[in-house]
Amino acid sequence: MALGDVVEWAKHQVSARVPKADLDQRDPDYIREQLPGLWLLASLYFRADVRGLDRIPTEGPVLLVGNHSGGNLPPDTFVFTLAFSSYFGVERPFYQLAHNLVVSMPGLGSLRKFGTVAANHENARLALESGGALLVYPGGDYEVFRPSWERHKVDFGGRKGYVKLARDAGVPIVPIASVGGQEAALFLDRGQWLAKLLMVDKLARLKSVPILLAPPWGLAVSDFVPRLPLPTKITIEVQEVIDADDIKAADDDVIHEKVTTALQSGVDRMAAQRRFPVIG
Amino acid sequence: MRLQQRVIIDADRDTVWKHVSDPACYPEFMTSLERWEAVSDGPVGVGSRYTGHWKIGSVPVGGVIEVVEFDEGRDLAWIGITGITQRGRFRLRDCPDGTKVIFRLAYEAPGGLLGVIADWVASRQVGGTMKQTLENLRRLVEG
Repeated sequence: MALGDVVEWAKHQVSARVPKADLDQRDPDYIREQLPGLWLLASLYFRADVRGLDRIPTEGPVLLVGNHSGGNLPPDTFVFTLAFSSYFGVERPFYQLAHNLVVSMPGLGSLRKFGTVAANHENARLALESGGALLVYPGGDYEVFRPSWERHKVDFGGRKGYVKLARDAGVPIVPIASVGGQEAALFLDRGQWLAKLLMVDKLARLKSVPILLAPPWGLAVSDFVPRLPLPTKITIEVQEVIDADDIKAADDDVIHEKVTTALQSGVDRMAAQRRFPVIG
Repeated sequence: MRLQQRVIIDADRDTVWKHVSDPACYPEFMTSLERWEAVSDGPVGVGSRYTGHWKIGSVPVGGVIEVVEFDEGRDLAWIGITGITQRGRFRLRDCPDGTKVIFRLAYEAPGGLLGVIADWVASRQVGGTMKQTLENLRRLVEG
């Protein structure tokens, strides 16, 4: 059997395990039951502060675009999910896109009850067409594994497909800026070279195999073994909405520039208020 | 979790009631109020609904509330319709120094044991918020 056949077989095995998006798996009652636990974790362990939720349209579909931090245990995602569900109620449909490996990982099936679906254009379109709010992190595994010394840099790695998604669906974009997540561990290298060497970039759409320092393991390669995130202070600030009409009238680069500029400004503002790493 | 705070305001009951019974005034004296919107139309009374969120811990907590008691000049009580389970009351009574205002709040988070712990952890901040709210009301009424 040629190497190419083996790669194709392995790729099929991985993709076959990615659950199909079923928006009905989102369970408001389940989310409601989990909110106090999330609130304790967010308020006591991560000392989170979420601002500007009033900038999000109170009804209708909306694309929430965030900068992503914290590796495979991103505190910003669950803190924002808690904030959105508390502010608008669990009754408002809210979905999040996540990497294929996250939604298919054993033990993380409960994420689907929160409205987490595999990140692809079709799932995103379905979520918006259903009238839901959709949280996306265009930077994905490229941004979330950036070195910790680049923690205050918004970097989507050139990905801007989210603009077309918003335009096609006719929905506004709301940028969500956050800081603190990349201090939950010491990320040393994205490990893109390692991803290529191990061919997981082709097998599992995994562009990074990060190298990091994190308790309790010390030095870790890849971020799939559970670790203890450091109790870093998380701050999230919702930015001004970009109207659907503006998105329709402008091209992708203009809107992408607008989103990343808003995010970088928000991140810079919040970063300037931090006195120490982790402590905040 | 059941919490109660009280304050004596140097004003007659009708004057205090004017502020307590006017939800449009709430952002002026309610501490940590992040969101306050009328859901129903018309004058305030039994059945009126509002969306209210208070910043407790890391995020705004609250939901849609409905007025269930509106006893002119005496009591205004509400319950939570969505969000956290809650029952609140402003109780106004005459006293020698003016009007005694009692602010009661009973709330219960879902989630079993974690909900009980969250209630307990939040109680200190909620109690402080209620106390500050009454102090703001006193300043607002007394000018």
